[in-house]
Amino acid sequence: MPEQEVTLDNEVGLHARPAAVFAKKAASFDCDIKLVKDGNEANAKSIMSVLKLDVTKGDAVTIRAEGDGAEEALSDLVELVGSL
Amino acid sequence: MRTLQGTPGSPGVAVAPAWIFSRAALDLPEEPVEDPDAEVERLRDSAEQVAADLDARAAKAEGELAEVLEAQAMMARDPEMIDVAAEAVRKERTPAARAVVDAGETYAEALQSSESEYMAARASDVRDVCARIARRLVGADDTFSQMSQRSVVVADELPPADVGELNRDLVAGIATAQGSRTSHTAIVARALGIPAVVGLGEVEVDPTDEIAVDGDSGQIFVQPDEKTRSEIEGRAARAEDRRRHLIERAASLEGDTRTRDGHRIEVAVNVATEVELKAGLEAGAEGVGLFRTELLYLDRTNAPSRAEQSEAVRSLLGLLDGKRLVIRTFDFGADKPVPFLNLPSEENPAMGVRGVRLARDQPELLDDQLAAIADAASSGDRIAIMAPMVATAEEARWFVERVERAEMEAEVGVMLEVPAAIFMAEEIAEVCDFLSIGTNDLTQYLFAADRQNGRLGSFQDHFAPALLRAVKTVCDAADGRAWVGVCGEAAADPLWAMVAAGLGVEELSMGPEAVLEMRVSLSESTMHGCRAAADAALQASDAGGARRAAEDALG
Repeated sequence: MPEQEVTLDNEVGLHARPAAVFAKKAASFDCDIKLVKDGNEANAKSIMSVLKLDVTKGDAVTIRAEGDGAEEALSDLVELVGSL
Repeated sequence: MRTLQGTPGSPGVAVAPAWIFSRAALDLPEEPVEDPDAEVERLRDSAEQVAADLDARAAKAEGELAEVLEAQAMMARDPEMIDVAAEAVRKERTPAARAVVDAGETYAEALQSSESEYMAARASDVRDVCARIARRLVGADDTFSQMSQRSVVVADELPPADVGELNRDLVAGIATAQGSRTSHTAIVARALGIPAVVGLGEVEVDPTDEIAVDGDSGQIFVQPDEKTRSEIEGRAARAEDRRRHLIERAASLEGDTRTRDGHRIEVAVNVATEVELKAGLEAGAEGVGLFRTELLYLDRTNAPSRAEQSEAVRSLLGLLDGKRLVIRTFDFGADKPVPFLNLPSEENPAMGVRGVRLARDQPELLDDQLAAIADAASSGDRIAIMAPMVATAEEARWFVERVERAEMEAEVGVMLEVPAAIFMAEEIAEVCDFLSIGTNDLTQYLFAADRQNGRLGSFQDHFAPALLRAVKTVCDAADGRAWVGVCGEAAADPLWAMVAAGLGVEELSMGPEAVLEMRVSLSESTMHGCRAAADAALQASDAGGARRAAEDALG
């Protein structure tokens, strides 16, 4: 299953607005998407689940996608995290 | 009696029964449900209705509040949270209202344990969203509509969606566990004149408790003893008397504020939000002397669109109806988090690339803001635009040229808050329509004393002769070239304002809560007295002496 590690570089981490933007994008895909940090897994389509991971600046996270359009979802989300 | 120490959020005092704003105020059903599938259906419907309601409120809100509400709408639709709650309904036959509150709580607790302040704030957002869904499920009225008697609102944190609904006739005071002086609750409480203490850490009170709030000292008293109670009641009564007296004295005021000997001094209001402008105008503000535009940018992952910025300006212009709006272009840098800019961190951000320095570094940001302002303006509007952190005449010229290129009818000015600019005020005034002295930052830079550092607080006295002499230097330099205003905290102090008027300041801009008293005080003064007070204060060798000299001179 396609997955890729990215390092978060924005000032406030994956908090509040960035998390909302990320979850909204993830929810636009049909496939299952997970966000993983330190072995903890979050449903990328759930803003609360993403917030709970407490991703801060400099954290390395893995995005994992499975199902229809997984490759496309993965590359879009990796790009999004880079632009946050 | 228990005494709790927090942060002063809004001045004033009040005693009243507690009205607890929290999910605990909600009576959650316990009986197992008979038809779990129908209950899950109700859960999904209610969540969607709450989400739609939050979306609608977001559409009417602006800036940061709008984004918080949008994020809350997403929480109400959160697929995982809804699934967790639905599973509890199906497996345990838990009523949906209880299931959704429990589900939210697991997320909220995890968020609250985070070290980040942002995350703790999101925990209360989550709780608020789930409580809204639960309220809808049990058919409870929405929040404040249940309040029937004058009360002190006690809350962990007041959700942004509800702060706007505060009724100052019913809400005697506010006490919250979270929040700071700059949080939304504190801003709105100040604008509405409701005493508030925020950041109490923890507030455990019973619905039957009486609460005394001291918004000046930042304390609350739970079940105050007789002595405390009568002291607070006495202060509240005196404040009420003063307010009534002020309103009486203000009743004869009409239109512009003038001294008894006929000198016009413009009393304006500082705003970041519409609610502050409404409160200021109600108190008789003659315009906006400082519109802080940062709220639109802070904590954002992408730049606010030109349309969004334009809408924010237009909403204020609509309320102002031809009165002047002084807009300060964005004032941030490494000292305030603006995620979409990805600014490198700096050793000393207060003296770093901020304000006009950042604008020169990234001129497209400024051009975008200026274009948005130009879009918002229509005939009959009076717009003035000023740049923060200007240090040289060359920077002032650059800024003026930039505004001219945006092709709109506007006065152009700069903020004077860097000491170097004080010494070049004449050259700067030559190219500007106005100069606005920002006393908070100017004092910090004059004394090389960090204004956030409590141990250096004594340097922040606006009667310091060094500051008064700086104001005089600016007024003398600008005379006949540009008008001079003041928009720092000093401008809210009537005695200081009279000294400033005596020095030649023509406009004073302050928080909405200070407007009425300022108009009354200036209307009862004379320019002759103001000049005498200014002369006397300038001669003093320290702040205390300057204050006393001004008082004596005014009799």
